[in-house]
Amino acid sequence: MSGNWKFIKLAYRQGVLIPLFSSSVAGLLIITPILVVLFRSFTTARLGVSVGVSIENYLRVFTDPQILPMISNSIVYAAGSAILGTGLGAMLAWIVARTNTPGKALVELMPLYPILMPPIMKNIAWILLLAPRAGILNSFLRESLGIQEQVFNAFSLSAMIWVFGLACVPLGYLFLLPVFLSFDPSLEESAYIAGSKPMHTMLRITFPLAIPAFLSAFVLNFLRGLRSFETPVLQGSPAGIDVFVSKVYDSMSVEYNPGLATAYSSILVFMSIVTLLFYVRATRFSERYATITGKGYRVKVIDIGKWKYVTFLAVFAYFLVGIAIPFLVLIVVSLIPYYDYETFTKFPANIDISNYYRVMHHPSFVSGLYNSLTLSLTIAVVTVLAGIVMAFTIYRTKVYGGKVFEFIGTMPLAFPPLVLSLGLIIVIIGTPLYNTLWALGVGLFVAYFPYALRNASGSIVNIHKELDEAAWVHGARWRHVFFKVTLPLLKPSVAGALFYIFIEAIRNIDVAVLLVAPGNEYGPVTLFEYFRVGQWAEAAAGGVIYLIILISAVSVAKLVFHIKFSL
Amino acid sequence: MAILKVEGLGKTYKDLRALDDVSFEFEKGILSILGPSGCGKTTLLRCVAGLEVPEEGSIYIDEKVQTGISQGIFVPPYSREIGFVFQNYALWPHMTVYSNVAFGLKLRKLQEGEVKKKVLSALDLVGLQRLEGRYPSQLSGGQQQRVALARSVVMEPRLILLDEPLSNLDAKLREEMRVELKKLIRKVGISAVYVTHDQEEAFVISDTVIVMDRGRILQYATPDEIYNQPANQFVASFIGRSALVDGKLVTVDAENCLVAIPEFDNASLVGAAPKGGAAGDPCKVVLRTAEIKLSSKRFEQKDNVLEGHMLSRDYRGGLTDHRIQVGSKEIVVTSHKLCPMISIDEDGGKIFLHIDRSAISVIVERRPPAP
Repeated sequence: MSGNWKFIKLAYRQGVLIPLFSSSVAGLLIITPILVVLFRSFTTARLGVSVGVSIENYLRVFTDPQILPMISNSIVYAAGSAILGTGLGAMLAWIVARTNTPGKALVELMPLYPILMPPIMKNIAWILLLAPRAGILNSFLRESLGIQEQVFNAFSLSAMIWVFGLACVPLGYLFLLPVFLSFDPSLEESAYIAGSKPMHTMLRITFPLAIPAFLSAFVLNFLRGLRSFETPVLQGSPAGIDVFVSKVYDSMSVEYNPGLATAYSSILVFMSIVTLLFYVRATRFSERYATITGKGYRVKVIDIGKWKYVTFLAVFAYFLVGIAIPFLVLIVVSLIPYYDYETFTKFPANIDISNYYRVMHHPSFVSGLYNSLTLSLTIAVVTVLAGIVMAFTIYRTKVYGGKVFEFIGTMPLAFPPLVLSLGLIIVIIGTPLYNTLWALGVGLFVAYFPYALRNASGSIVNIHKELDEAAWVHGARWRHVFFKVTLPLLKPSVAGALFYIFIEAIRNIDVAVLLVAPGNEYGPVTLFEYFRVGQWAEAAAGGVIYLIILISAVSVAKLVFHIKFSL
Repeated sequence: MAILKVEGLGKTYKDLRALDDVSFEFEKGILSILGPSGCGKTTLLRCVAGLEVPEEGSIYIDEKVQTGISQGIFVPPYSREIGFVFQNYALWPHMTVYSNVAFGLKLRKLQEGEVKKKVLSALDLVGLQRLEGRYPSQLSGGQQQRVALARSVVMEPRLILLDEPLSNLDAKLREEMRVELKKLIRKVGISAVYVTHDQEEAFVISDTVIVMDRGRILQYATPDEIYNQPANQFVASFIGRSALVDGKLVTVDAENCLVAIPEFDNASLVGAAPKGGAAGDPCKVVLRTAEIKLSSKRFEQKDNVLEGHMLSRDYRGGLTDHRIQVGSKEIVVTSHKLCPMISIDEDGGKIFLHIDRSAISVIVERRPPAP
């Protein structure tokens, strides 16, 4: 015991007790809902009633005749979107980085614009376009070309893959662009000297060397597919195409059976963990390839001749389907009195802002909008600060068990946000926290903490340790070191993380959907509900309002604070 | 009264013994800690600063205990009143030169006017007048070095610790800076501990030198003593250019000794008497090759002359390396100018070497008693 006491005294003298304590609180917040999900999946009772251990939930899950189709749906959906998105993203990255496609300056940032559009907006736009009977495209084919069959079906696995796949493009693009941009030219030059022609060199040298980055992006997109909420619930569930996320949601929203929901969650978590392990492997693999040395190479742009018009068309086509069309559809639908194809075709003669009027006078949207703004701002600040404190504890204080903090802080990545909020509900039911904004805040904190931690760790590791130590020996205590040296040096990356978490949190649905309650609305969830009950035009109007907020936030970030965005 | 006292310091990293029962006392002036990389010198310095906690032992600064493992005492670095100059200077890039130097003073809650006076006079001292508004990235390496020094000096510490402060500068600047650094430290009158792996630097800067290897102190003496009377083989080979051969003591008296060297066809050399050792003992003989004289004709002296064959010559500009075969051993003698009269072809490249008594150290290594 005296040894422990000495250790604590030493820790105090080294000035690490406060960061250690703060990190422990954050760690506890994160680990509690996670453990509860796993624990509750083995119990019988409903919420609030005393519990007994059983595997009844798992029996029910595994004897469900739907279990096999569910597994295959989940995998096909996630893998399909990941392939589509990463492939398209990689192609765009190559076009931008290595070809003489005209108008590249314009194209360069284009693949990133979709990040701005809240996921649910994309679903709404594409459902409007592809819905079986009333959808714009099918109606057009029927009315104008007389084709009676419904060619498109928004409520199908392929439509789900299409919509979520497009959402995966930015990540693929961001992962591959640096590979193509900072590629060591001598690797290609030595192939030329060996007698290989440019196209052949592309296929045999350039593309194979990009495989590790492609794999990393693919696995990450696959994980996002497993976790995604909006697409399966809005496009899958209506057609009976169930994946695990939608099943968890149904268990709670239809049956209100947390035991069953946690059992489904456990399988989902298991799949996520396996995927994450693959991701770790993939990134290690790519480190071994290490084609990027950090030297500022001047990448050679390849003249692809006539093909440059083809690549230009490809980029333009992506711009249309990825950004322009969904965006226009949303705006048009939000500006007509109600949605059906006939009213839609009369645009712009029938412009009317009654949807905006109705939405802005709907108490649950207005309070939800207000809540989402204030809460996501607060959460962004709190999460980023907590992330920095924990990274500081792990890397800058000589505390034993820094690895444990790192593990706990990264853990929520393996847990789909819906599952985290499920765990949180089970923890707080019966406490004063239940049905409050605080609960929602904690949920968002836990869900976004890994991003904050990863961001802060990456930057702290890059700051020379001597800068801290110099402050120590010149009379600074930990709070001086933290506030005068570490924090100011972290400022650029802190600002980026702050905006990223703000943008993600303000449009969040999958954490909030289980935690909202009458009186504690959250804007995006309100839109989600509108859409589920068929008020498509109002949902579009609300979506456009969010879009305007997000675009102004990002413009402010870019123009006023000069913040660079990355994932 | 010792400014720094270290007793029985020990620290292990995984399976590396970084510090092994390190003890010494340092009165005042400038002390260098010299050794190859990984010898534990930086760990020792960081323990003194309180940046590392040793596993055993104690550290006293100005007779006051700072680290005392057995008593459970650890004074944190911010209370040790020391200065520390880091290898990469560790200037805070987001602060101006002025703010960097003023950082510690402001933490002491000094008045603004007094802070300003002290900072400016410290910058004046290191020759950086009018640069206080610059950021570290706008300074040259040498200037950054001075800022780091000013930042330490301005705190009026009891002791300044310097961790290879010149190793990031280019060779020419390094030679200038080490002289200037010495002047500066003398001028402010604060004792300093200086860590380096460069023997010349250590000799130029310091009053006393500690040579370390594998976490142990091998010799603690003045530069002159270390050069002329290396305590053991490692010190001898680490200090300056030298050739090392095995020998056998033939006779030993109070001042001199005669050693026979089998590798030189049993030629014998006269050197200063070693510490300990009697006739018949095996020993190591260190020849400081820079002090060997070469000639193609016989020297007038009889003693300490060897005969060899010139194998090749490598012209290095001001210096020339002569590779010479003496007996079964090849040695490299560096002379300050090409000896014009020696030609390799003539007379089979025969050459005579005169090794002055002062260029020879004889070391009798005390063997650990047999188990």
